[in-house]
Amino acid sequence: MNYSPTYALLIFFGFSIVTYLLFRPRKGLFWVIKNNLESNEKIVIEDILKQLYHSENSGKELDVNSLTNALKFSNSTIIDVIKKMTINELVESDGDVLKLTSTGRDYALRIVRVHRLWEKYLAEKTGFDKIEWHGRAEEMEHKLNHEETNLLATQLGNPKYDPHGDPIPTKLGKMADLDGEFLSSIAVGSVGRIIHIEDEPDVIYKQILAENIHIGSQIRVVENNKQRVVFYAEGEEFKLAPIVAANITVSILKKEDVIEDVIVRLSSLKENEVAHILGISKESRGDRRRRLLDLGFVKGTEISIDLISPMQNPTAYLVKGTSIALRKDQASKILIKKDVEYGE
Amino acid sequence: MGNKVNSTCETCPQYNAKGLKKLGLNTENVDFVVALAGNPNTGKSTVFNALTGLRQHTGNWPGKTVTRAEGAFEYNSQKFKLIDLPGTYSLLSTSQDEEVARNFILFGKPDVTVIVVDASRLERNLNLVLQILEITDKAVLCLNLMDEAKRNNIKIDTRTLARDLGIPVVPTSARFNEGIPDLIQTINEVATGKIICKPHRIKNVPKNIENAVKTLTNEIEQQYPSIPNSRWIAFRLLEGDTHIIEALKTGELV
Amino acid sequence: MSKNSIENIIALSSDLRWQIGDDFHDGLAEGIYADASEIAGAAVSADDQKKRFRLDAKIDKIVTSKTWGFPIMFLILGVILWLTIIGANYPSSMLAQLLLDTIHPLLKNGAASVGMPWWLDGFLIDGVYLAVAWVIAVMLPPMAIFFPLFTLLEDFGYLPRVAFNLDYMFKKSGAHGKQALTMSMGFGCNAAGVVATRIIDSPRERLIAIITNNFSLCNGRWPTQILIATIFIGAVVPPSFSSIASLSAVIGIAILGIFFMFFTSWALTKTVLKGEVSTFNLELPPYRPPRFWKTIYTSLIDRTLIVLWRAILFAAPAGAVIWLISNIYIGNESIASWTINTLDGFGFLLGLNGVILLAYIVAIPANEIVIPTILMLTVMVSGIPGGEGAGVMFELDSVTATGDILRAGGWTLLTAINLMLFSLLHNPCSTTIYTIYKETKSIKWTTVASILPVIMGFVITFLVAQIWRLVF
Ligand SMILES: Nc1nc2c(ncn2[C@@H]2O[C@H](COP(=O)(O)OP(=O)(O)O)[C@@H](O)[C@H]2O)c(=O)[nH]1
Ligand SMILES: [Mg+2]
Repeated sequence: MNYSPTYALLIFFGFSIVTYLLFRPRKGLFWVIKNNLESNEKIVIEDILKQLYHSENSGKELDVNSLTNALKFSNSTIIDVIKKMTINELVESDGDVLKLTSTGRDYALRIVRVHRLWEKYLAEKTGFDKIEWHGRAEEMEHKLNHEETNLLATQLGNPKYDPHGDPIPTKLGKMADLDGEFLSSIAVGSVGRIIHIEDEPDVIYKQILAENIHIGSQIRVVENNKQRVVFYAEGEEFKLAPIVAANITVSILKKEDVIEDVIVRLSSLKENEVAHILGISKESRGDRRRRLLDLGFVKGTEISIDLISPMQNPTAYLVKGTSIALRKDQASKILIKKDVEYGE
Repeated sequence: MGNKVNSTCETCPQYNAKGLKKLGLNTENVDFVVALAGNPNTGKSTVFNALTGLRQHTGNWPGKTVTRAEGAFEYNSQKFKLIDLPGTYSLLSTSQDEEVARNFILFGKPDVTVIVVDASRLERNLNLVLQILEITDKAVLCLNLMDEAKRNNIKIDTRTLARDLGIPVVPTSARFNEGIPDLIQTINEVATGKIICKPHRIKNVPKNIENAVKTLTNEIEQQYPSIPNSRWIAFRLLEGDTHIIEALKTGELV
Repeated sequence: MSKNSIENIIALSSDLRWQIGDDFHDGLAEGIYADASEIAGAAVSADDQKKRFRLDAKIDKIVTSKTWGFPIMFLILGVILWLTIIGANYPSSMLAQLLLDTIHPLLKNGAASVGMPWWLDGFLIDGVYLAVAWVIAVMLPPMAIFFPLFTLLEDFGYLPRVAFNLDYMFKKSGAHGKQALTMSMGFGCNAAGVVATRIIDSPRERLIAIITNNFSLCNGRWPTQILIATIFIGAVVPPSFSSIASLSAVIGIAILGIFFMFFTSWALTKTVLKGEVSTFNLELPPYRPPRFWKTIYTSLIDRTLIVLWRAILFAAPAGAVIWLISNIYIGNESIASWTINTLDGFGFLLGLNGVILLAYIVAIPANEIVIPTILMLTVMVSGIPGGEGAGVMFELDSVTATGDILRAGGWTLLTAINLMLFSLLHNPCSTTIYTIYKETKSIKWTTVASILPVIMGFVITFLVAQIWRLVF
């Protein structure tokens, strides 16, 4: 074939498209095939255990049918594996209903532990987006063995909760508790603290993320009906559809614990205003949080704006005698109380 | 300013030369090892250069010295090796700089740690000072940038400061070689044991943490009676510092 | 100590930590600062409530203002680049005169008078010496101007303000505002720019800055750009516009480099660097008058000479290789002309030719010798008169004469444009590669930083060549 620029371009684009289809992140043919080769019986067993664990915890009963619906494996695989699991005394059947044995429950708890620890790890030690944590933890929970898990826990300082607020089982299966109410069912006028944000399903979680709702923040509900839930948190107003609000858990605060109304985000501070820092939001994690603490963004510190950059972001704040620039999203995770002005 | 204004000739070469010999890179057969620690941009490298006669790059930039620089000087015929550590705000986190600084002070066991601080931002700088004082009890506070503090109308009572911190405090303006002779003298006295420090220990730790630290410290001291900084080790263990766990296992800390 | 008791301590600490919960670090940090505030409160007395020296605040308001922030910044950087490029011309040509036109013949004569065999004389003097001399002549003057100026700004404290002003743009592509500075430093020398990334304390942003630094056109490449633009771009417009046209072409390439820098930064954060930790904070230190002479001295020692020395170490063997491949024959063809013939096909696809590709392969150590190598190889393979012989790099004083040789070698406007693009988009020089390895201590990232730009260069020149041929 003789050279012609058109052919050269065609060959080039053809080649590019093939490469893209093969290797594009996650969905590329190469990765799909690789994942399929890796998925094996262990993964099926563990996914079944987890599914059973979660439904039993929420008081639901599962039979083989609903199990096959919930999991992405083929029916025959699941039935095969359940047979083996019964022989190994991980599950027992009670009529149609499948139940975890105590060994099965321990095993399931271990998987949950790895999953939540790994989410914690991703949140604290890596830069992955929140939206990716769950998927990555789903893969990792099948990979870490007992020792690796314990080492991971030590490195993370044996955390009690994962970044969404779910308790992490300890080595011995101990778990801190999580009691609160869904935001969708909270009476108007009550004050509470967000203690859990559910990360499934994806679509709803994305909406919560887009709203910039922060775990750990104190809220006051001002409207709650079939159309929407409206609440105030950290000086901002949020409106959610009830179905979205149902994925947020709030623990109601007693009167004496309430310090609302004065809490606002640092990002709302204006030039010439002075404020005191109340704390850093739970949304700021890992090295980022530590760095802020090390730089002196600690409770009680006086803070004011020193300089605003030409593009309005970042802003430099005067903290303990030094001018430190922060980006807007960082500033929104520092909570302050503005000083009352007495006029100039 | 402060307690030790000596003579008008403090900055002249004759004064400096007395007993001091800058040895540059010649760091063999030293009697004492001195570490220079401090926040970024407080003048560590300037102090380092003033003492060793070397010309480490100094820049008005937080975060310049990343690798460790070494040099030496001789005072009263005793040789001191000086190590310019990376500037850090704290020793509690995981960044590479902090690890270098933390590990050197903890495992390198310097004879003296000189903590260089910015006099006009003392409170912020004390964060690091207090952490270092948990690790080592042979330290000197070099209150640098005194000229800037003066310009900003900031006065510091060095005697109160020295008493509260439990270590000697030397005001300097390293860039103009002011206070350097005093600093050398003090380093020498701490190194040779003429000055005994009683460093401040962090007091305002929340109750629940303090209790845990106490329990853990007791346990550590029972196992390793000779360990000098059990409280710091307890802090680090609670933090989950794997390096410390490793060091405990290998016995590197005792 | 028994292993058991250590395990006990560790288990105890795990347990205690679990009981304390997630607030451990916060509690500790707040506690330490509370102590600090008590101690400082007792020792410090501020006469005046003024927080900062007033002049500082005034300067800051101006250099970060909406109206003046950017103009001041571009003006300063522009002046520095102008001083570097224009100012370096004179010492550069003096050095070239001395090292190339005076000392080189002297050495040749000397070698001849002591009866040195031709191959040793060629290898050492035409190969090694010439390459080193070229690198010094081209590289030393701009670096000796650029780095001290830059360091003075750094010591004054202006640079953090630049980072502050530009952070917003860099953030959009996932990078750190301080990358503006390492990038500017890269205009002087990529190796120095890579070292300068130490000021970026966030791991992910630092890697981005290291990998993309090569997109800053360094001073080894400015002369190539200017020469080729003058010969070929200047020629397509009427003579009165030719210098404007060629200047715009060079600036266009530099700006294209900045564009690629942003694009690559963005692409990296979306792909390979997705999981790296990112923290941001930028301290704005007080202004401090720089110590002029000391700064100049340390910047010369720390930056200029170290970089120059490394470049020489790498350039010397490159010179040797150039001489050897042009003078070792396999059959009746030298290695050089055999390689050129082999590469010609691929070169054609990219709108370049075998000579250029070979020149870029042997010039990996130092971009400064690309043009002399190209000239020598062109004369050698095309058999046109000129030059100093096989393996002896040369440059001509006359731009027209250079153009004549290149045209005789088959160069067109397309070759020139693609050479300019390829000079922007190819692997970093070996000094920079070595520096990247030293800074990252990672073979993976060094490889990415080395391969990525050259792949981009292939793709871009390829596309330009095909489209050019379709259109014209
Ligand atoms: N005015 C004044 N400037 C100083 C003094 N000591 C250091 N500097 C300047 O402070 C800046 C930072 O100094 P450097 O030694 O690089 O600090 P490092 O980051 O702690 O090593 C440089 O511009 C020095 O010239 C001092 O005592 N007075
Ligand atoms: Mg330094």
